[in-house]
Amino acid sequence: MFEQILFLLSATATIGFTVAVVGTNNLMHACMYLLGTLFGVAGLYATIGADFLAATQIVVYAGGVVILMLFAIMLTGGAEDKKNRFGIEKIPSMGSTKTYIVAGASVLIIAMIVLKMTANIHTANKDLAVASTGNESTVFNIGSLLLTDHILAFEISSILLLGALVGAAIIARPKRN
Amino acid sequence: MDYSFSNVALIALLPFFAFVINAFIVKKFTKLAVTISCLAIFSSFLLACRIFKDVVFDVYSSEFYVHKYFNWIDISSATIPFKINMGIYIDNMTAIMLLMVTGVATLIHVFSTYYMHDDARFGRFFVYMSLFTSAMLGLVLSDNLLSVFIFWELMGFCSYSLIGFYYEKEGAGNASMKAFMTTRVGDVFFLVGILAIWNIVGSVSFVDIYAALSQGKFAHDIMIFGLGIPVATFAAFSIFMGTIGKSAQFPLQVWLPDAMFGPTPCSALIHAATMVAAGVYLSLRMFPLMEAGHLLTFIAYIGAITAFGAATIALVQTDIKAVLAYSTISQLGYMVLGVGVGAYNASFMHLITHAVFKACLFLAAGSVIHSLHDHHTHEHVQEMPRMGGLRKKLPFTFIAMMCCTLAISGIPFFSGFVSKDRILGDALLAALHHKVMWVPAVLGFAAAFLTAFYMFRMMFLTFFGEPRDKELYEHMHEEHLQLNSNVPLLILSIFTLGVFYSGSLTGQGFIKVFKGNYEWFGTLVEKPHVANFQDHKRQLWTMDSSVDREEFKHSRYDEKHGKTEEEAHHVHQVHLIGALMSIVIAFSGVFLSFLMYGKKSLNPAFWTGLFSGWYRGLLNKYYFDTFYIKVVIQKMLLPLNNFLAFIDMGIYDRYAIDGWENVNRWFYTVAKWFDNLVVDTVAVDGTGASVRLFNVVLRTLQSGKIQFYFIMIILVLSSYIWAIGSN
Amino acid sequence: MISLPSYLFISFLLFVAGMFVMIARKNIVAILLGIELILNSAALNFVAYTKFVNNNLDGHIMSLFIIVIAAAEAAVGLAIVIRFYQLRESVHIDDATQLQS
Repeated sequence: MFEQILFLLSATATIGFTVAVVGTNNLMHACMYLLGTLFGVAGLYATIGADFLAATQIVVYAGGVVILMLFAIMLTGGAEDKKNRFGIEKIPSMGSTKTYIVAGASVLIIAMIVLKMTANIHTANKDLAVASTGNESTVFNIGSLLLTDHILAFEISSILLLGALVGAAIIARPKRN
Repeated sequence: MDYSFSNVALIALLPFFAFVINAFIVKKFTKLAVTISCLAIFSSFLLACRIFKDVVFDVYSSEFYVHKYFNWIDISSATIPFKINMGIYIDNMTAIMLLMVTGVATLIHVFSTYYMHDDARFGRFFVYMSLFTSAMLGLVLSDNLLSVFIFWELMGFCSYSLIGFYYEKEGAGNASMKAFMTTRVGDVFFLVGILAIWNIVGSVSFVDIYAALSQGKFAHDIMIFGLGIPVATFAAFSIFMGTIGKSAQFPLQVWLPDAMFGPTPCSALIHAATMVAAGVYLSLRMFPLMEAGHLLTFIAYIGAITAFGAATIALVQTDIKAVLAYSTISQLGYMVLGVGVGAYNASFMHLITHAVFKACLFLAAGSVIHSLHDHHTHEHVQEMPRMGGLRKKLPFTFIAMMCCTLAISGIPFFSGFVSKDRILGDALLAALHHKVMWVPAVLGFAAAFLTAFYMFRMMFLTFFGEPRDKELYEHMHEEHLQLNSNVPLLILSIFTLGVFYSGSLTGQGFIKVFKGNYEWFGTLVEKPHVANFQDHKRQLWTMDSSVDREEFKHSRYDEKHGKTEEEAHHVHQVHLIGALMSIVIAFSGVFLSFLMYGKKSLNPAFWTGLFSGWYRGLLNKYYFDTFYIKVVIQKMLLPLNNFLAFIDMGIYDRYAIDGWENVNRWFYTVAKWFDNLVVDTVAVDGTGASVRLFNVVLRTLQSGKIQFYFIMIILVLSSYIWAIGSN
Repeated sequence: MISLPSYLFISFLLFVAGMFVMIARKNIVAILLGIELILNSAALNFVAYTKFVNNNLDGHIMSLFIIVIAAAEAAVGLAIVIRFYQLRESVHIDDATQLQS
């Protein structure tokens, strides 16, 4: 019951904030709405027993990425000329009905295909869905898996992070002259 | 002596090498070039002396000949033989001719170093002279008509160059052109004759022609314009036209007087001693053909008319070189007359003697001209009215010129008398046998009188009397004996004595030396007996010297010339009469000249006034030049020229060429249409347009706009998913 | 209610929204924002599938790496944006059509 309420809340928050991210004119607001979306997704993780992931999602995204984006938006001054720069009506191809018709048709087609494929999977695994409701902490298992089976990917991702850190520092560094 | 390549070919090749070397070095090393020229011709002279010594002193046979050949062109197929041989043909005549040409040329080269020394083109003169000498020696050595023709034309070219040597002078260029074009008329006939002989005999070498003559290959007729003409006559006439052109005979004599525009040594060598004599030499070589063609009467008439006509013109000339030029024509006429009356030996002897004394005369004239320098016009004086009394200042020249004048006038004991009177004696003999020959004989005697007259007129006007141009006379330098100026003259004048050529001092047997046995010239030079050439011996001309030498029968002088006692007596009688007549005639000519110009008891002006019409005619050279220019060239050749031009321009050009142009233009229109439409529009512009089209497409794809890329990615992904999902 | 299709539907909505943001927005930062949405949808898919199909932790590991990569991508991408802004005084995506500065 609690899970279902949590799922409904999380799903509603995710979808609502996502629509808000898409629809808002203000980039700063869009970033805030993205934060809501990410919290929603973290809630969704929690409803299917991915507790460690939910925590990581909140820590990394809310604590890292969104803050980083807010800094970037403020550094580039993007929030100030929000109307001119980010308004959908300012984009020529976005102003016409034809574009929306084409885009909507594409979305519908893709949605139908995706739903058709997922329906197949859903019917094939109907029984499995019920059997996996038991929730326990995944932290121990994930930690042991990362350091045994996925040790190579783990180390490579650490090198990737180090490279991203150094690369970002070098790229963003202002010119000496 | 063997006649290998190295012994004989060098005679003609040495001057040629000199020519080739000098042609390159003459501008920088003029003195060296001149030395090379002189040394080359002197070496040729020494080689010629060897041959002469071998032929005349060792072999001494009238039947002697050496014929050596090498294959020049051989393009025979299996069925058609086509082979041209070149080679040498040396007989007594060649040996004598070689000695004469090289000797005279050597002396003239030496004299030229004096005469041409101040000239700006001193070296170039020797280049031409070397080439000319080489060509002349090549002609003399030739064994066939083709190489004769080659050297003949080469000499013509040298003559052309040397006549136009002072091309700054007005008229020199025209004179050289005139000489070249006039001789060309004869040369064309000569070439036709060579082709005719080639057609009949299949070879053009002399010995083959002689053999063909003895086999009677020339007996048939050919049809020309419907007239049946014996081939022998046709060939002989064509060849004799070459002689007419080169030796300045009657219809084509106009070029030789104008040729005196050249430097005097070149006049001496080319237009007196050698080149003009080459025509007569050719006639003598082809004498059996002339005989077979029954052309001798014609030749005798041509020679006599030339001898007499030129002598009359020489009477009124005032230019010292013009007198000598007409005298040359006249003497060449004598030689041709000798050919015509069958005096083979005498004609050739006159060729040699004339070469010697006329070369000497020209050199002496050159010496006179060179010493007379007009300080007002800075030119040399050639006009006799401005001379006179030069004897005291030019003693050596005077001696040489006097000897030669005596020789040419036919005074006994001199070479001219020996040769000329043999010709006249034979002419008289021919006249007694054929009535038709009286005209040449009488003209010949008359020309002898005129010769004596005008030559002594020249002598009196030049060397005797008082100087008529005092200033000119006083500026002259006294002549001293100098190796390269008067010594050649004196050497030549020694050889004007008749004793070198005949066993008797007078040539007619009046006064004999060595009991008359020393008649080498008459013994050795005989007309070729064609029957002897039926199986003529020929050898390959190689560097190899170990060739079998032919043994020839030693000839002895035959006073009767193979005739019977009675005939020989008759001939002797006629020759005696002729000799006496010509002595009388010569002396009367000299005497008349003395009266008019020496003692001045007869006034020349009176006689010119009396015969003023004739005088004008003579001054205008019988209007030959006028006739050629006004009638032949302007009235005949120019209309022909215009007619041909009309055919060319009016018909051929307009219809054939322009018509072709119309056809081409049509094709051009079609091709242009094709070009514009297919090639240009479709192919060329189409390529560009297709490139531009792809450019638009690709540029649109690669706009650099990231969102467009993203749309493309989504589209591709969607279609991929579609493809997976719809199976 | 807690079943695979509902998660997939939410994931699909996230994906479409991210795609829309990437196409429609002209600010580079907004495009990075869209990328985050798409990465989240992918990660959500992984977790949902591993829960309802395999019932093991491979999807969790994969999502973890996706989060790591997203963090790295965001760091580098935003650094580039800032650098670009220094050069061009703009963060408009249509100004970034040239590879060289």
